[in-house]
Amino acid sequence: MQAKIIKAGGFGFTIAYAAFIVWIYATEPRTFKEVTTSAEIAAGTYQIDQEKFDSALSLFRREQFRAARDEWQRADPAQRDARTQFYIAYSFYREGWGRVYFDQELFKQGVEAVNRAIALSSTSPLTIDDPDLRMHTAAELKVELEQGLESSWSDVNPLKVLRTRK
Amino acid sequence: MSQDNRFRNRALVDFVVLPFLFLTVALLGGLRVGAESRTFIFIAPPLVTLLLAALSMLLFVRGGLIRFHEWVGSDLPPLTNVAHIWMFITIFFASAQAFNSVLPERGLFHWLFSFFFLWTLWNNQFSSFDARRLLRSLAILFGTAFVLKHLLLANLYSPEGGWLKRVAGALLQGVTLGTLDGPAFAPSTGYIAFFTLALYIAGLILFAFAGNGEPTVVTHTLVDGYRQLSAAERRSVREAILDDPVDQD
Repeated sequence: MQAKIIKAGGFGFTIAYAAFIVWIYATEPRTFKEVTTSAEIAAGTYQIDQEKFDSALSLFRREQFRAARDEWQRADPAQRDARTQFYIAYSFYREGWGRVYFDQELFKQGVEAVNRAIALSSTSPLTIDDPDLRMHTAAELKVELEQGLESSWSDVNPLKVLRTRK
Repeated sequence: MSQDNRFRNRALVDFVVLPFLFLTVALLGGLRVGAESRTFIFIAPPLVTLLLAALSMLLFVRGGLIRFHEWVGSDLPPLTNVAHIWMFITIFFASAQAFNSVLPERGLFHWLFSFFFLWTLWNNQFSSFDARRLLRSLAILFGTAFVLKHLLLANLYSPEGGWLKRVAGALLQGVTLGTLDGPAFAPSTGYIAFFTLALYIAGLILFAFAGNGEPTVVTHTLVDGYRQLSAAERRSVREAILDDPVDQD
């Protein structure tokens, strides 16, 4: 009887171990920290670091966009939180926005981040209730960023210097 | 009581220890550590390693290390059959990853090593092998490949420029080393590969002695060898055995 338990238990244990190996090779974590983060995501217990998120938000409000993005990336290392990704995209928008021209590189990164936010949001559309922001949905932000990347005759309109940042 | 313990220990080795060992080899065989970033890099087994693993499995069967008819059969319980087949699968992937750990990742050396492995394993298919010789041969094959990759080639790929790189640079002055180029890894990669190969060989030894039982291996080896002799040689062997003074005592 004991031998049978060993057989069944051993078989189950090694199958689970093999699944872990396949998962490791599929997710390719680079550090032990990433291994634990990926495990948390798989188990559905992943949470962002709220303290870092708040610190990034205060930097964002003081227009320290790069520093804010750094903090948000540390708060959400796995890039699995829609709200954090939305704010990262917003910081790209605000930093890349200019009266005369938009920084194309920052806007491109902003589109990538907002796309991540949209993909991650379970509610559609993703809405952020923050009075400091003038765009509250990921869809609005995405359109704004994409328009910034497009070239048109309106780019040579001198009146565009009067436009305002959202 | 001792019979019970023997069954329990045998079950523990066959159904827990051996698959765990081979799966650990499968996990570590593709693990490298980046030279500069010091982060993990997981390299899935290239297609050629699966081919090498298939040839190795054939060799294990030919060498008597794996005897399917004893491990899988209609007279065995279904769970035992499934667990045994599962162990063969783990051996297959462990073999693939053991090759992965000693194969250079890209470039000319990757293909040269692959070719030599294929050549060796293909030639071995037509040689007379028993489990012991096979294990010795595999240990030497992997040992040599380990020295070549993790000592010599690691020196050649080293970002600081090891002694081999300087020698190669002097010998091949004016010739590009692009085709010989490969990724540089941290020294810990060599330690991981050494541990992986040691685990793989240890697993195969354990499999040979725990799974098949040493006396059976020896008996089969002797009988197989005997069957390859001519009629006259067989007679001489039989006479020699019957004349053995130990038997007469």
